[in-house]
Amino acid sequence: MIIEARDVKHFYGDFCALDGVTLGVEAGQLVSIIGPNGAGKSTLINVLTGLLQPSAGSVRFKGRDIAGAGPVRLARLGLARSFQLVQIFPDLTVLETLQAAAVSRLGRGRRLLASLAADGEVRRDAEHVADLFGLGEKLHAPSRTLPQGDKKLLDVAAAFALRPAAILLDEPTSGVSTRDKTTVMQMLVRASRGIGVQAILLVEHDMDIVFGYSDRIVALQQGRILVDTTPDGLRTDETVLATLVGRATATASAAPGP
Amino acid sequence: MTAHVVNVLMGGLFHAAILFLVAAGLQVVFGVQRIFNLACGSFYAFGAYVGVAAVQAFIQVGGPPGLFILPLVAAGLLAGLAGILVERGLLRFIYDRDETFQLLLTFAVVLMIEDLIQMTWGAAPTSTSGLYLVYGQVRLLGATVPAYNLIVIGASLVIAVGIGWLLARTAFGRIVRAAAENREMAEALGVDMRAVYVRVFTLGCMLGTLGGALVIPSTAAMSEMGVELIVEAFAVVVIGGLGSMRGALAGALVVGVLRAIAIAVYPALEMLLIYLIVIAVLVLRPRGLFGKAVVA
Amino acid sequence: MRRPQAVAVIVALAAALALPRMAPAYHVTLMLPFMAYGIALLGLNLLFGYTGLVSFGHALFLGIGAYTGAFLTTHTRVRSIEIILLVAALGAAAVAAPVGALCVRYVKIYFGMLTLAFGMLFYTFVLKFYHLTGGDEGMRFLRPSLLGQPLGDLSKTAYLVGPYYYYSLALLVLATVAMWRIVHSPFGLCLRTVRDNPLKAESLGLSVPRYRWYAFVISAVYAGAGGVLLAVPTGNVDPTLAYWTHSGNLVFMTLLGGFASFFGPIAGALVFIYLQDTVMSLFLYWRLVFGAILAALVLFAPTGLAGLVVRRQPPEAAHR
Repeated sequence: MIIEARDVKHFYGDFCALDGVTLGVEAGQLVSIIGPNGAGKSTLINVLTGLLQPSAGSVRFKGRDIAGAGPVRLARLGLARSFQLVQIFPDLTVLETLQAAAVSRLGRGRRLLASLAADGEVRRDAEHVADLFGLGEKLHAPSRTLPQGDKKLLDVAAAFALRPAAILLDEPTSGVSTRDKTTVMQMLVRASRGIGVQAILLVEHDMDIVFGYSDRIVALQQGRILVDTTPDGLRTDETVLATLVGRATATASAAPGP
Repeated sequence: MTAHVVNVLMGGLFHAAILFLVAAGLQVVFGVQRIFNLACGSFYAFGAYVGVAAVQAFIQVGGPPGLFILPLVAAGLLAGLAGILVERGLLRFIYDRDETFQLLLTFAVVLMIEDLIQMTWGAAPTSTSGLYLVYGQVRLLGATVPAYNLIVIGASLVIAVGIGWLLARTAFGRIVRAAAENREMAEALGVDMRAVYVRVFTLGCMLGTLGGALVIPSTAAMSEMGVELIVEAFAVVVIGGLGSMRGALAGALVVGVLRAIAIAVYPALEMLLIYLIVIAVLVLRPRGLFGKAVVA
Repeated sequence: MRRPQAVAVIVALAAALALPRMAPAYHVTLMLPFMAYGIALLGLNLLFGYTGLVSFGHALFLGIGAYTGAFLTTHTRVRSIEIILLVAALGAAAVAAPVGALCVRYVKIYFGMLTLAFGMLFYTFVLKFYHLTGGDEGMRFLRPSLLGQPLGDLSKTAYLVGPYYYYSLALLVLATVAMWRIVHSPFGLCLRTVRDNPLKAESLGLSVPRYRWYAFVISAVYAGAGGVLLAVPTGNVDPTLAYWTHSGNLVFMTLLGGFASFFGPIAGALVFIYLQDTVMSLFLYWRLVFGAILAALVLFAPTGLAGLVVRRQPPEAAHR
């Protein structure tokens, strides 16, 4: 198991955001986390990516305890993430952004007097990732001049450039037009295979994406796991669907939407 | 022995009273506008010079020495109105900018006021000589303390209470506190932030100029007094907590009294001790005594 | 380096080399503080422009450099400027290491305040402990030997406009080349990520406080060297070197030249020195003029002169 959370609880003061969450991601899997806002998704993500120390329970990455380890240590261990609110380096170009990831991965961040431009390995790495994400033509564009969709891709691409063992994508298709969502997802899947990412944890609101790409779906509600099953398993579970998606069917009672 | 201690303490409290006024001005501006006004020391100096000029003019036209405090206070308050020029003319254009640039702009104001003061009054110190002891002296636990000191300390306390009342009980105070808490919300609720900003900044400057005016009888107005005071005022607000009025009071007491003690015991230590405390506070408890939590 | 930039640098260098032969001694000696500030500002801008931290206490390191030289030349038999520079650099680094470790945990205004406090701490220390440092009268800084040559037979002016001028220029060139490499290295790229988006930088595995610390120490070493060069022409060091307004002027010069450009700060130092000299000779109240210039910069040209020459969009740092 690459990522494993066991009985994770987290309190903000008196408020219980996570109430005993257990979940695991195996190599080769794409696991989606879904749930209404306020269900505890952000808290869970922050716990899983080491930004938050859980009040109770354990979080393991490749067998190592990573509770509260912090993003820097996790990135070095091989767990990367992209952000819901797109995070880029405004004054760096696309190339420089990806070069930074490569520099970090190769441990060359302390090379004070070496020339970045002359580092062929870093450059090829960055260009390769840029091509995987369709940013190959825009290498020298300053990140802040990119259209929003490309910024999103760059955020994700930089995380992939770390060649992580596992990656957490926080709503990678939010803000992307419906037509492009499939393109983005296919790009992500292809990039994962190309780079050798072993596990993907996806947080998504778009159910078509979730059902289309996940090996497993974990539904979170009020800090607890409602269901952890395959897309087929979820499709047939009417009550859960009604709770999450608000889809009333002939057999399910009228449940209030999220 | 007691007399000596009392003397030292009273000197410290007097200095604390002045520091409180300047720091309160800093706090109210930082609290609402999130700007650290480096020029508060310059306004302090400006208030001092204007105060001297007012008192000298008053005496020259035959005003009774015993009433000198009236033109002094009036001058101190009126001098603060110069803040309107600074706010409307310069500051209001950079509210949406990075803090660094706001700081640099107030530094620019420091430079300009420094020379404007020199242009108007020259480089030599000026003073209201002889008027310090017009109100006589008071015996306190064996020590002889100028009554003027007690007047200023009392006035500062009154102003402290007054500011507290202003913030807690008046409509303006409520708006100021709301704007300090959440600017966008206040604007969304229809508060005219431009008007608030001018008033708050001017209030801040007036407190500074008043402090400068009030210190005058006990010392001379000198060209460096502005740049020197800003570091003390800065120490006060860091120790007390940025943006907090209670912090201004507590910080002023700490700095004023500690400094007086240091001067009496080991003069070389004076400001050194204060800076060490500032650094210690910034490291151990960045929000100071009464400030809000700081996000690193 | 782009062609126009390279041409400009070559022209500037040629002019600087030819200056002592063409201009009167007064103007040549004016270049000396410019070169000292140029070195110091290269360091300061590594911190400001490339890492996004504004220090209001960098004059502290100027002071350390200057006082190191004064102390060595008056209390020991050391006269070699190379040794002085080395000790000053080590001293600046030694102070910057703990001070920086403390300061880089905080950002923006708190970083500025902490650095201001440390600067004033040094100022006060140097002022009060006059047995060691000469108090407000300062200490002498005796003429150092250059490359082992004592040059004692030269008059002060001949020394300054001759060998010392070229030595300073060589140091400035060296410092510039080194900083150019630093800024264009993988390390330099990491600094810029830390400046642009600390959250994202951390998610890529880059330790934000660590990189800020490196930048702080390097900038301190540069400022220390600058401090040595600054003090030699006057032959005297005093506490005002470390006063907070001196730190403010350093930031002013950086802003004037343009913090978003590599050569900006050097240009800023040049303009500042010459402008100050010109204004001071015409008008006693130069601070008023300079205050107005700084205000105008902040309001209308936050990217400085370099930003006006190369019309680019101002970096995010100029706006919230």
